[in-house]
Amino acid sequence: MKRYFRELSVAAALGVMLLLLAVFAPNFFEPQPLLSRLTAAAPKLVLACGVALVIIARQIDISIGSLFAVCGTCAGLVAAAKLPWPVAMLAAVVVGALGGALNGVLVAGLRLPSIVVTLATMVTMREALRLKQQGVFINLPDGAQWFGLPMTAGQFTVCGVAFGLLVLMAFAVKHLSAGRFVYAVGSDAEAARLAGIRPQLTTFLVFVLMGAFTGLAAVLNMVQSPQVDPNSGRGLELEAIAAAVVGGVAVSGGRGRLWGVLAGLLLLVCIGPALTYVGVKPYWEKAIQGAIILLAVVADGLRSWKGVNHG
Amino acid sequence: MNTDKHGFKALLLRHETILVLLLISEVIYFNAFGRRFGTADNVTNIVRHSVEIGLLALVMTPIILTGGIDLSVGSILGLCAVLFGKLWRDAGLDPWLAGVCTLGIGGLCGGFNALLITRLGLPPLIVTLGTFSLFRGLAEAITQGVDAFTNFPESCLVHGTGQLAGQPTQAWILLAAAKGVWLLVQRTTFGRSFRAIGFAPEGARYAGLPVQRRLAMAYVLAGVVAAVAALTYTARFGTAKADAGTGYELFAITAVVLGGTSIFGGIGSVQGTLLGVASVAVLSNGLTRVPGLMNIASELSGMLTGALLLLALASGLLPKMLADWRARRHSSSQSAQPKLT
Repeated sequence: MKRYFRELSVAAALGVMLLLLAVFAPNFFEPQPLLSRLTAAAPKLVLACGVALVIIARQIDISIGSLFAVCGTCAGLVAAAKLPWPVAMLAAVVVGALGGALNGVLVAGLRLPSIVVTLATMVTMREALRLKQQGVFINLPDGAQWFGLPMTAGQFTVCGVAFGLLVLMAFAVKHLSAGRFVYAVGSDAEAARLAGIRPQLTTFLVFVLMGAFTGLAAVLNMVQSPQVDPNSGRGLELEAIAAAVVGGVAVSGGRGRLWGVLAGLLLLVCIGPALTYVGVKPYWEKAIQGAIILLAVVADGLRSWKGVNHG
Repeated sequence: MNTDKHGFKALLLRHETILVLLLISEVIYFNAFGRRFGTADNVTNIVRHSVEIGLLALVMTPIILTGGIDLSVGSILGLCAVLFGKLWRDAGLDPWLAGVCTLGIGGLCGGFNALLITRLGLPPLIVTLGTFSLFRGLAEAITQGVDAFTNFPESCLVHGTGQLAGQPTQAWILLAAAKGVWLLVQRTTFGRSFRAIGFAPEGARYAGLPVQRRLAMAYVLAGVVAAVAALTYTARFGTAKADAGTGYELFAITAVVLGGTSIFGGIGSVQGTLLGVASVAVLSNGLTRVPGLMNIASELSGMLTGALLLLALASGLLPKMLADWRARRHSSSQSAQPKLT
């Protein structure tokens, strides 16, 4: 119970909010709008999963918003060239993994600080994409939207893929040795090295995985509309990091659970619509998201502070 | 990096020297290939456009020297710009009085960051990520997302569009801020404590430095100067909107790191930051002057800035790699093994 306190408190906050909504704004739970909202959040869940891993490994990646746009554009161009649909998806994931590998080489290979490396790649990728695409939208061929399924089935597929990935990753980081390596490297890289883990290789692979997830998220985003927007993904990195932090992933590395991240993300994406349902103006959404992030870190800070004094 | 080495070679390898060379080559290139790059008008232009980033980068320097980071300065700029407009138009304050209040608000924003970082010992990256959202969100909430403040009286726009002693007014503000921060960081024991904290926070504390107070001061200073930047931004554009200064925090961090300040803290200089700001400003302006590149100037300058940032980071590794290589060559030449190269 105590071990899961952080995750449970986020889940409780989410539960309270949903309960309040059920009482004061039952409209929120109408199936179709709810499904649309969850579908829109699905790519963010995939990103937040990846970012949680990166943070657990005591790194950070702020280039994923730009990489997201690059992957989406690449997949869009492949799809627009009338190549089969799975090829486009594969292209997005491969391009994402390559982008992640670039970050990984710079961070793990050259041991440069990840915040600055990903700041540089964020700017470079975004501008390179702008240079190539000049902001022009890519029209996808007919039948590409929702994987060629009817809309509701497509929405279920998108949510299912994102949720399936979360379950898979939650299992992997808990029960596979590769997953435990990430925690070990994040809590103490030197100790991990002495225990026979290769910290640099682990870090590199975490970045590659982050990139591949970004590609997948771009695909899940692309199927939701008939066009690809080359300007998409701005600020997405901060949303994903916020979801991870609110969900209880410690920025100091080595701590965090993926289902906490799910709760954190749901809390952040539901707060906006929830506010409009209870009559608060939607302009407050960003401020309240910021306040939630701060609240989460303050709670962490107070807990560790108490721990130091009484432990 | 060794800072205690002297002599010509050490000077050549110093970060600032490399940046000066970069800046000179930029100027030569744009003078040769650009149209009307070196005119007085254009120089004024460059200065006017780089003041806000310059101010933010200047105050980001002590923060990064302590090993911290402030992602919220762009949002503080936006919030201050909006509140300045609000105080002047809706509260009916005199523009100058409103300006002074804005500085106070900036200080409060910085103080809020400082409170969370020093009192609760939270990581600056995440605290300022939260306030990045919070302050920008407050600015959006205050303006309802659409409201913009315009029609400021001419007299209070003078620091954005006017001239003083033949130079744009902002140039003097930037100069004063640069001198002030330089004196603070490079020439006082006070400023040296930022480096000490960046090198080893615990060590600094054992040496008797009031670590928490110094850290708090760096963040409050950043808030106040972000408010100054908000005033020059408002004056330059003549409007105050909630999206003022979006993304400026990243430009400022880029300039600081490009200027040779280590993101881990402890190493760096204010001169370097100024050179970093100047080389990015000249690059982005110069590219718009070169025929053939004009249409892609902003994208190209962004890409080149990112590439420069990576190069600057990697160049920090160069002395160590060189030393490693020398050591290896030395040991292999002493061994009896035949060399393969």
